[in-house]
Amino acid sequence: MSCCGKNQRDVIETLEKRKKDYMALESKEKLTWCSGCGNYGIQKAIERALVLEDIKQQDLVMCFDIGCNGNGSDKINTTTFHGLHGRIISAAAGAAIANTKMQVLAEAGDGATFSEGPNHLIHGVRNNYPMTFIFHNNENYGLTTGQASAMTRMGQKMNATPDGVVVKPMNACKFVLSLEPTFVARTFSGDIDHMTEIFRLAMNHKGFAFVEVFQMCPTYNKHTTQTWFEERIIDLSTMKGYDKHNIKHAMEAAEDIEKEIKVGILYEDKKSVPYQELLESRKTKKTELVDEVKHVDITKFINKQK
Amino acid sequence: MSRITLKVAGESGMGLASVGDILARTLKVMGFYVHMDREYPSLIKGGHSNLQIDFGPKKIHSLSKDIDLVIALDRAGLVEYLNTVKRGGVLVHGYERAHMIKDLEETAHKRGVKLVYLPAREIAYSYGGNELMTNVVLLGLLWRVLGFDLDPLEEEVKRRYGKKPKILEIDLKCLDHAYNTDEIKTPKYDIKVPKSKPDTILLDGNRALALGAIHAGVRAYYAYPMSPSSSILTYMSQYADETGVLVKQVEDEISVAQMAVGSMFMGTRALCATSGGGLDLMTETISLAAMTETPFVVINCQRPGPATGLPTWTSQGDLNMAIHSAHGEFPRCVMAVSDPESSFELIQHALNIAEEYQIPVIVLSEKVICETKTMVEPFEQNKIPIKRGLVTAPKELAELTPQDRFKITKDGISKRWVPGSSPAYFHANSDEHKEDGVLTEDGDEALEMINKRLRKGDTLLKNLPEPKVHGPAKADISFVSWGSSKCTLLDAQEALKEEGITMNFLHYDYLWPVKTKKAKEFFKNNKQVHLIEGNAGGQFGEILEAKAKVEFSDKLLKYNGRPFFLEDVISYVHKHVK
Repeated sequence: MSCCGKNQRDVIETLEKRKKDYMALESKEKLTWCSGCGNYGIQKAIERALVLEDIKQQDLVMCFDIGCNGNGSDKINTTTFHGLHGRIISAAAGAAIANTKMQVLAEAGDGATFSEGPNHLIHGVRNNYPMTFIFHNNENYGLTTGQASAMTRMGQKMNATPDGVVVKPMNACKFVLSLEPTFVARTFSGDIDHMTEIFRLAMNHKGFAFVEVFQMCPTYNKHTTQTWFEERIIDLSTMKGYDKHNIKHAMEAAEDIEKEIKVGILYEDKKSVPYQELLESRKTKKTELVDEVKHVDITKFINKQK
Repeated sequence: MSRITLKVAGESGMGLASVGDILARTLKVMGFYVHMDREYPSLIKGGHSNLQIDFGPKKIHSLSKDIDLVIALDRAGLVEYLNTVKRGGVLVHGYERAHMIKDLEETAHKRGVKLVYLPAREIAYSYGGNELMTNVVLLGLLWRVLGFDLDPLEEEVKRRYGKKPKILEIDLKCLDHAYNTDEIKTPKYDIKVPKSKPDTILLDGNRALALGAIHAGVRAYYAYPMSPSSSILTYMSQYADETGVLVKQVEDEISVAQMAVGSMFMGTRALCATSGGGLDLMTETISLAAMTETPFVVINCQRPGPATGLPTWTSQGDLNMAIHSAHGEFPRCVMAVSDPESSFELIQHALNIAEEYQIPVIVLSEKVICETKTMVEPFEQNKIPIKRGLVTAPKELAELTPQDRFKITKDGISKRWVPGSSPAYFHANSDEHKEDGVLTEDGDEALEMINKRLRKGDTLLKNLPEPKVHGPAKADISFVSWGSSKCTLLDAQEALKEEGITMNFLHYDYLWPVKTKKAKEFFKNNKQVHLIEGNAGGQFGEILEAKAKVEFSDKLLKYNGRPFFLEDVISYVHKHVK
């Protein structure tokens, strides 16, 4: 997992130079996650990625679903929207297309994304809304004390399934890849450098960037632990001949979530056109929806009804 | 003649709408006031449906129940609608095998209805026409019965089909044949054609809502198709390319509402519309908008429920739902349109209220308003200013702090600004929160914030306009109304005046929070005040009785999917005024 090693010095130097921007994001509010929770690393990586991409606090909106990660929504100093369970992709999409000059990040867990709101994920991907979506996959419902999610491994004994989960887990990236996405990546909460790099690429993507983070939940997920992942993870950037622009390669790479788990950019469509640029009505607009609220002359339409 | 009522009846998919549009527009061009509604089943093809046109020399607000003239496009039209024609009325048809329908002649004779027949299909085919052109033959025949000159009708047909010269040629031959043939003798109405032509537009309530929204600066429209709201989506999409409005058909109503909230949060004006079932799905988002103090406007085009109910019929049954749905306690505004004018205006006020008070606003319409085309004066633009309640002055923006966003204020309203317009960030938090949006579970802090939000409701109530009295201050009989019943009451008022009965009514545009001062006066001034509502519970009546401490003499309620017809009100009044 040393994809970023060669950049490491540059990264540190840039962060050093932009310490003020970094500190601006730091909140005085106390984080309430369990010790060892993957969310600490994810938040740090997001902050780093933002600073490295020179995305200023004022140009950013972060949208949070309900769950453990959502409890961090007011613990980062930027404009945030803490929505409802399963719905954050839709709310964030509405925000993102209203002002495409702003960076819009949305985050949600596995309960939200694959149980309460997969409908929104499907259409978020299909419509290629201009946003980054960080999927926190800790393979359980942490905030409600450890029930199984659609991602929990078979056989795991969870709150409400004491005899073990009887159905197979979903494979998030495989699912998303079936929707003809424009950006799909995987990373791991145990590696801040890797996450930082992936988040940076996602933030630069034009369209819907889907990033799955395998996230540690030391409290309720005793099965797929940090060590479990570390023993299985393979970084795609080290794999010879892997073509991230080839969706067939991506499908194949996404398949295994048991033995050899591939992380990195699984798929990226360089020709991605975000939603609003596909619309005849918006294609040539230089302004944003937020700049355009004023009386519109409708005389022509009224006359048509004469 | 105050009005003539026409019905075009036939199977869905038989070209009913085109016949109706040609008739309506021709009559409008001739100087008549036209009022047109469609009754149809929730099917694309098959099942009988009809289109009703009431027209006359004066403005018409509502529909009649008794029909003067029916044009039956097929067997279904003939059989199903003969009984709706009033004594002395006429039914025009082209069904060759009508003689095989048992009792048809007898029923017609008994009811005093004249049957007028031409072999329409044969005539259409003889000119090289097709099945749909039988409609044009019947149109010509109807026109002959109405006794009008053929010219304006020909002009309208030319306008519509001018781009298809071959079809036009056949159409004109069909018209001419039916109008001039001496194969049959027909009764003839003697209707005075108005001398002046009013400067009006002909449109339905949904188009008026779309136009009002676009005029008021709505830049994003989200929807999931659901009758009878779907045509708003169609109209908005027709206007999108020219206006740059982003129009999106979204995957479900939950997402519709969420996207609208997201766009509003980001600082543009967004809008969505649905019917009752869709609003059910949106309720969690209404609660979210209330908590995060994000403006939100949704139109509920009502149809009868519960469940799928009567999908293509009308209702006022969702008022309680509009007022009470969604978890938690919070202020909201519920308003109801009654016709195209109020649709055009109230949607603009709805957007202003949502933004100024940072609350959810639910705009109620009804199928009969959504889809009834009527004639109104061309809308006045720039009359209602756009009020957004946003901080926009650069100096003020520079000085904002996160705590300003949900600051505890006397009137409950805190400053709102577009994300990115100020260095001040804030947390829009669905959890209970402090002034900057940071979560709190402290009882005192929570209470303070809950009360702050609730105070917005008090402020709104103070600032909302009182309902309006239509007619004299005192009358023989009085009504309290909201929504489409206004239209019926306006027509009834005129009709009753001719009988020497005075009627007035107090009409509410803003239903929640409810103003009571004018209502109390109204009840004091009038000896019998009745409720008129298109639902079974008398929902608004109950609210008003509780809030204004008044009591209705009696209630006129209707909830079978049909709107209030003129005759409904007249006969009700006759029962109560001797």
